[in-house]
Amino acid sequence: MTHQALGVVGSYPLLVALWLLPLMGAVICWTFGPQLRATAGWLVSGLVGASFLLAVLCWHDGTQSAAGLVGANQPLFSWMTGFDFGLLLDPLSLLWTFIITGVGFLIVFYSIGYMRGDPAFARFFAYMSFFVFAMLTLVLSDNFVGLLVGWGLVGLASYFLIGFWFQRPTAVAAARKAFVINVVGDVGVMFAIFVIIANVHSIGFGAAFGAAGTLGPGIVLTICIALFIGAAAKSAQVPLHTWLPDAMEGPTPVSALIHAATMVTAGVYLIARCAPLWNVSHEAQLVVGTIGGLTALLGAILGTAQWDIKRILAYSTMSQIGYMIMGVGTGAYEAGIAQFFTHAFFKAQLFLGAGLMIHALSDEQDIRRMGGLRKKLPFAFWVMLLGVLSICGVPGFSGFFSKDEVIYGALQHGHPWLDGIGIVTAGITAYYMFRLFFVAFLGEYRGEAPVHAGGPGSWIMNVPVAILVVPSVAIGGALLFGGDASPWAHFFAPLFAAQGRPMTPVAPVTPAISENLTSAIVVIVVAIGFLIAWQRYATTAAKRDAVERLRREAEKMPAVLTNLFYFDAAIDAIFVRPAQALGRFCAGVFDPHVVDGAVREIVAIARGLGALVRSFQTGLLRAYALILVFGAACFIAYYALAGAPH
Amino acid sequence: MNVPIADYVTLASVMFFIGVIGVIVRRNPLIMLMSVELMFNAANLLLIAYARLWLQNVGHIFAFIVITVAAAEAAIGLAIVVTTFRPEKYVDVDDIRALHG
Repeated sequence: MTHQALGVVGSYPLLVALWLLPLMGAVICWTFGPQLRATAGWLVSGLVGASFLLAVLCWHDGTQSAAGLVGANQPLFSWMTGFDFGLLLDPLSLLWTFIITGVGFLIVFYSIGYMRGDPAFARFFAYMSFFVFAMLTLVLSDNFVGLLVGWGLVGLASYFLIGFWFQRPTAVAAARKAFVINVVGDVGVMFAIFVIIANVHSIGFGAAFGAAGTLGPGIVLTICIALFIGAAAKSAQVPLHTWLPDAMEGPTPVSALIHAATMVTAGVYLIARCAPLWNVSHEAQLVVGTIGGLTALLGAILGTAQWDIKRILAYSTMSQIGYMIMGVGTGAYEAGIAQFFTHAFFKAQLFLGAGLMIHALSDEQDIRRMGGLRKKLPFAFWVMLLGVLSICGVPGFSGFFSKDEVIYGALQHGHPWLDGIGIVTAGITAYYMFRLFFVAFLGEYRGEAPVHAGGPGSWIMNVPVAILVVPSVAIGGALLFGGDASPWAHFFAPLFAAQGRPMTPVAPVTPAISENLTSAIVVIVVAIGFLIAWQRYATTAAKRDAVERLRREAEKMPAVLTNLFYFDAAIDAIFVRPAQALGRFCAGVFDPHVVDGAVREIVAIARGLGALVRSFQTGLLRAYALILVFGAACFIAYYALAGAPH
Repeated sequence: MNVPIADYVTLASVMFFIGVIGVIVRRNPLIMLMSVELMFNAANLLLIAYARLWLQNVGHIFAFIVITVAAAEAAIGLAIVVTTFRPEKYVDVDDIRALHG
């Protein structure tokens, strides 16, 4: 089968350059880390920033459309027939590239301040740069194998960075857990690729998408479910989400870049990229949409029961990715991608804001030991406030527009109950985010560690956060407002209209309630969530005896929430323990008795034969002579009786 | 004088079995070597007798080869006996059992 391009085939040196620059940074930092010292941070932020500028320069190539082809396709090399590797920059990957390099640049820059004084400063930036390269490989590949390579490499980078402080046993355990669960997902993607190769004889996206309609529903469903296992593991969807909260052991900028803004949204990218496959399998859409909705709800509920500021944000990330997966799963691709887009900004902002707080409080992460930070950390206060307003979907903020689109999209594509879940989750989100905000910033300071804000060089951390505030507040209104006439819709229109790539599986139904009414309901539910949080944490009485109230709340926390819905226990009981039991059986029974037993039997036979033969070796010369004579006599007797040989 | 072939065969057989019994029964390695020589000579006698009977020279050639081998064997055998029994007062092959398995 010939190579079926999705974009205009040509030579795009800028695209190749933007892809390889971060790799260069990683190699330099790995090789010359000790010599570079603090320069490593500036070098990597410079390279990632240059990568972002190149992405801007590639805007025209990425959005061009001609004869049903959208974007730019740069062939790299061909392995064998049907196995062509190349880069594809179309509106979808362009968007992801912007976030990876743009938000990535801000976070890497912020890290210069955050990681200052860490003995492994250069190693950190080598990993960060390597991650950016791996993530770009993932989103820029024009084939499934290239995507899988990037998919595996971002998992590796995530493993490196979660376990960055490898002196902490908890960090090492969290890194291992993340890696193992991600490998489960990698196997799913690999299986999907095998099925695609067996049926299409090509690894290119174009060939697979072109054949989507003729493959048969069973095969497409198999591919979609296998791909979704990968997406679920990478994007922390139930039941493969348990690694994400633990991943917060890594440095906070890592949580912001990898475990909030980019890597965990790779599953969303995968589903959006493979939309032509999902469109022909209604069952797959149902599964993905349901899991997404479930994850959004569970993540939000678990977020209400956490005390660690980063874990609250981690569960909130899980919940928000649930929204995205619900969007792309139900066929509302534009909405799911929009949610990814705004989430990258406000979640990065929230994590970096949390980083400011953690940094100022000497690595304190428990919100019960914060409080009263409004006056002590005014900059972090405003950053977190705007971030919280955006994530809660307060009208006018970015989060409002994207969340609205997802919730309404579920309704439009015929899943009213997912719509309900989305609305309820929005309310819970408002509750736990304002809980975090009120407990940390209002009342009196309850911690022991001295608060040291500011200081020389704090602008390195403050400036990126301040820049992030702008899109996190305003980009939703600027790009998403206006429905089909919005800049967002114009940006994606050529991609969605491209030949053989129907982005809308079924004609959207006109729901009984209008989009404005849905928005109004969401706003009311969010207001209710906010009021409950206000009532519990922000009233004068609540602020007065905050210590006592928080202690009581922690004590009365239902067991099902403190045990995180028993997911870890269930995975332990279903997979880990049987695997350990199998290992013990092999080590204790099978190996010594079957494997070693067979070897021992062979040895015993040889030894017995040896003993038999040895008994003839008397060492007596005359005995040998006798045996010789006896043998000769036997020969003579034989021939005497049988006659001479002829 | 024409000695019948049967007489040669009889004499050779007697010499050979004296040699065999000597090797098996005697414990002195020197006597054993001499017995081996006796067996060689029995074989040589047969070779020469049949060469004469059938008028073929192959038998003679073989006899010479046997003599050569016997000379070498005697030289090596005596050397072994000397090195093996140098520390001993008496020579007895039953005393050396180094090759016992």
